[in-house]
Amino acid sequence: MSASVQAPASPPPAGPWRSAVRALLGDRTALAAAVLLAVIVLACLAAPLYASRIAHTDPFNADVAATVMLHGQEVAVMQPNNNRLHLGLTPLGPTWNPGAYLLGADSQGRDVMARLLYGGRNSLLISASSAVLCIVLAAIVGIVAGFFGGLVDAALSRLLDIMWAIPVYLFAISLSIVTISQGLRLGPVTLESDNLLLPIGIIALVYVPYAARPVRGRVLALRNSEFVLAARGLGVPPARILWRDILPNVSGTLIVLAPLLMALDMLTESALSFLSIGVQAPAASWGTIIQDGEGLIYTRPWVALAPGIAIVLTVLALNLLGDGLRDALDRQGSGPAGA
Amino acid sequence: MKRLVSLLACSLLAHPAFAAAQAHRGGTLRLTADGGGGTLDPQINYLSQYWQMFVVTNDGLTAFAKVDGLGSREIVPDLADSLPAPQDGGRTYVFHLRPGIRFSTGAPVTAQDVAASMRRLFKVGSPTAGSFYGGIVGADRCLAAPAGCTLASGVIADERAGTVTFHLTQPDGEFFDKLAMAHAYVLPADTPAHDLGNTPAAATGPYRFTAYDPNHGATLERNPYFHVWSAIAQPDGYVDRIQYEFGLSDEAQVTAVENGQFDWMFDNKPLDRLGELGDRHTDQVHIQPLFALFYMPMNVRLWPFNVVKARQAVNYAVNRRAMAIFYGGEAVADPLCEMVPRGLDGRSGQCFYTKGASPDHPAAAWSEPDLQVARRLVEESGTKGARVTLIVPDRAIEISMGVYLQNTLNRIGYRTSVKFITNSIAFTYAQNSNNRVQISLDDWFADYPAASNFLDDLFGCENFHPGSDSSINMSEICDPELQKTIEAAKRAEPFDRAAGDRLWAQASNEVMATAAAAPLIQMKYVDLVSKRVGHYTYTLLYHMLFSQVWVR
Amino acid sequence: MTPALLRRFGQTLLVLFGISVLVFLIFFATPGADPTARIAGRNASPQTLAFVRHEYGFDRPLPVQYLRMMQRLFITRDLTSFVGHGEKVVPEVMRAAPVTLSLVGGAALIWVVASVVMGTLAAATRGSLLDRGLMVLGLIGISMPVFWLGSVVNLLTQSRLHASWLFSWVPGLGYVPLSEDPLGWFRALVLPWCTLAVLFIGIYGRVLRADLVAAYREDFIRTARAKGLSPARVMVRHALRTSMISFVSLFGLDFAQLVGGGALLTEVVFGLQGVGRLTYQALANLDLPLIMATVMYSAVFVVLANAVVDLVYVVLDPRVRDSR
Repeated sequence: MSASVQAPASPPPAGPWRSAVRALLGDRTALAAAVLLAVIVLACLAAPLYASRIAHTDPFNADVAATVMLHGQEVAVMQPNNNRLHLGLTPLGPTWNPGAYLLGADSQGRDVMARLLYGGRNSLLISASSAVLCIVLAAIVGIVAGFFGGLVDAALSRLLDIMWAIPVYLFAISLSIVTISQGLRLGPVTLESDNLLLPIGIIALVYVPYAARPVRGRVLALRNSEFVLAARGLGVPPARILWRDILPNVSGTLIVLAPLLMALDMLTESALSFLSIGVQAPAASWGTIIQDGEGLIYTRPWVALAPGIAIVLTVLALNLLGDGLRDALDRQGSGPAGA
Repeated sequence: MKRLVSLLACSLLAHPAFAAAQAHRGGTLRLTADGGGGTLDPQINYLSQYWQMFVVTNDGLTAFAKVDGLGSREIVPDLADSLPAPQDGGRTYVFHLRPGIRFSTGAPVTAQDVAASMRRLFKVGSPTAGSFYGGIVGADRCLAAPAGCTLASGVIADERAGTVTFHLTQPDGEFFDKLAMAHAYVLPADTPAHDLGNTPAAATGPYRFTAYDPNHGATLERNPYFHVWSAIAQPDGYVDRIQYEFGLSDEAQVTAVENGQFDWMFDNKPLDRLGELGDRHTDQVHIQPLFALFYMPMNVRLWPFNVVKARQAVNYAVNRRAMAIFYGGEAVADPLCEMVPRGLDGRSGQCFYTKGASPDHPAAAWSEPDLQVARRLVEESGTKGARVTLIVPDRAIEISMGVYLQNTLNRIGYRTSVKFITNSIAFTYAQNSNNRVQISLDDWFADYPAASNFLDDLFGCENFHPGSDSSINMSEICDPELQKTIEAAKRAEPFDRAAGDRLWAQASNEVMATAAAAPLIQMKYVDLVSKRVGHYTYTLLYHMLFSQVWVR
Repeated sequence: MTPALLRRFGQTLLVLFGISVLVFLIFFATPGADPTARIAGRNASPQTLAFVRHEYGFDRPLPVQYLRMMQRLFITRDLTSFVGHGEKVVPEVMRAAPVTLSLVGGAALIWVVASVVMGTLAAATRGSLLDRGLMVLGLIGISMPVFWLGSVVNLLTQSRLHASWLFSWVPGLGYVPLSEDPLGWFRALVLPWCTLAVLFIGIYGRVLRADLVAAYREDFIRTARAKGLSPARVMVRHALRTSMISFVSLFGLDFAQLVGGGALLTEVVFGLQGVGRLTYQALANLDLPLIMATVMYSAVFVVLANAVVDLVYVVLDPRVRDSR
């Protein structure tokens, strides 16, 4: 056959997003993870429904004198111990009855299952928002540092080094303590100490060095690639190069970062809430419920076990999803620059 | 009173069990706490954890009787040989020192040491220099210029006669109580006039500090120069050594004491262990009265609590039983209706704000809240719908109380938000009038067993300092009628205790009539000891008396 | 080489200076953090407040206070805490350091060994059930909040299964100094070691596996195999060596962060009075001297680790070495 025979015109290559999604759909583990995530999100969204229709309980206001009907008997939610000194009050244990205190009560007599679902809303909201915010900030910092290089890169890298030098949790803790005690005043805007934007912002901020590093690395590699050098040689303005050439090729890195960051953020948020400097009472998050359960761990372990299991499942699903995305995008190559 | 005291003293010394008690002598008492609390200087340290040690290492002119139970409220002479009668209309007291008492350095305790210690109080900036000892003549000059403090006309020592004369600007019926406080303990005159830090002061009591590390613990051993001069003021110790170790969490402490690794723990027992303690270690647990309360001061200068009916509404609405449950249950806390805890004289014993009662028709005890009356009062006050911010320290118990109180305030018609403040700064934050705090949740512990510790401290005009972090009159109240009653009570006290108590009770009623605060609960103290601890002795002010328990 | 070292040293000092200024400013920006009333004591009179304010120098301008604090922290080393009168913060940090070092050191040993074994096995049998199983296990390890895992471990070993032969040896929560009782030290730390290691075994196992798999595609590996070297030898002497680079750099940074206080959640849950727990308590009490001491301590470690890791890169990777 003559080598000059033209190969049939191949269809235009599908964009990285579409082919990634297609590859992802073929990956069964990632798909299962996505489904699990969807189930968790839906369950948490249904929290008000559960609390009012099914469990008939107010998960935020303790009613310490409440009683509940169990097997036809009226049982107090907070049960005094019957020792000689009448010392101690134990909350109700799991009834395994969705209608009333499925997982039992916490030390204030509140329904743990209802709080679990409400807490999930806050945990998911905070981790998703801070992941998005972090990616935006890391993209800006990473691209600017990687593309412009020189003094800008040096200054930004030093700043990121300083931020990363403080152990992440301690950095987040110190910022939280400062803002939680007094709220944050930014000019005309005041964020009260129970505003969720505070933990969202803090968690996003502390992971910017972590996320900006791979972005910067990618941009550095891209900057020296042929097509970018060509564009610069042609005199294309930097803004245009950034928008049309750099950003689309960095997007792969960012997409892969998203679920992994969300997983990290969820773990960080739960740690902050566990230390009482994340989500503030009376709002709940999985971390605050674990904290509630700490004191009851030996007598009513389910108060601490349930939110922990919820976190493990969610973070696991996110990690599997992230792995799947990374594999999917890797299979597409690293973009026009080639292997 | 004096007869009772001397009877008690005689009975202790002549007790037939005295010889048998020798059999329990010896051993090491092992104590544990989460953390230490700083300086060994008894004139500066204000923590009850350390006062519990100072009380067996040092002495003042007077002391609280070191006996178990209610008897420990009584004042007895310690380094002085008797409680002097007030002279000069209650402005002068002449104390005669007991001869033969020595410091742990071997030097004798002299009148000069007493005078020097009173001066040193001011020089080192003791926290209570102003509040307790400001009534001494010349104290105001010492407060303004501590370095050159002489108290030349206020505290006069006469070496030859062995007396110390105190001149006060006003009669003070609680002066003996104040002299019994650790800040007035007598130290050698040559003790340096700065914070001693980790160096122990010379001791006069049965024990002295032999080792101290503020992070790791303290060791106390017998003071070789100690002898019993008054068994009721400062008895000899049974154990030879006291070993105090810091560093275990409260949960770990409970486990350690249960297992016998330590004999006693300082920290509050975590709520989740109370049941286990009551069920399985009943004989090792002692539930003791405490002169302490939780309350909510309401700022009488800020909307909406500048209206009396609004404050009364809050008092009617709060569910004091729920507060007791959040503290740990009704075994460890009781609803409280007035700002003076049970066990103190000077209470009215009346409950104004419960269902079926009112300031005009008080009940004998609190039964339940009355939300209906509360809502009506809110309407009448015209404050319905007001925005209220409740300040709460961010500790577990306070958080659960705070959330519940927020709900209560909302139910009677306010729009309430809760602000949780880091525990270490919550107290100073709530005191500073610049923060415009409307209502906060606080606790208060008595320094010594007197109604004044609550009524005067928390509602007296002189304890409101605008713009300062140290202004414990958080209600910011300065009511002339109330102040008159308080002053009258203080004037009557030195001469007629009963009249003084009646006036304090009247003041308590006036405080509750004007509802400057909402008392919530009075707490009890849960004490846990190991199995081997015997002769458990609990003083109302200093908790377990280390010198009077035995381990063999 | 020397000018580069000097430059690096200068940068390190700059970073440390930056951190200390940041901490100082954050503290003073926190309203209500004025420690005067807390130090003076309950119900102190205004005169006492003024006395304390002057004695501690809180009435001086901020830069002066900063310099005094730095001097007392680094030069005279007698900086005292705001919360505990007379407690020197430097010795306090130095006493907490061995606790954290014991915890992190033991955990590091466990996680390095376990993750190398895990990563190597997974890479060697890649695609198999063992590979997938190990990776899923690692993933689960990464997904557990360490403080929750610690609570569950406590639940089992201190309470539910404490009586059984499995865990009756577990002592109460807390640290036993090595010099006092080596066996007790070991027994008290075994469970915290494993709990802390779980998270990192997952991370490092996966990183190592990914690097090994990538390395296998490299030219020099193909050369080694073409030479007829046994697969084990290829794995251990060639692939592992280059893959250890990112492993070691990650390890250096993580180890430094942990020693500097990043293990605070594990310390809190197991009652170990380490640097992390100390830092957290300092922050919660708004105790600036102690905060400064602990943050400086941890920053020194992390910055040092950064420098060491760069050095290690030079030593381990011939490509980097030759290009210099």
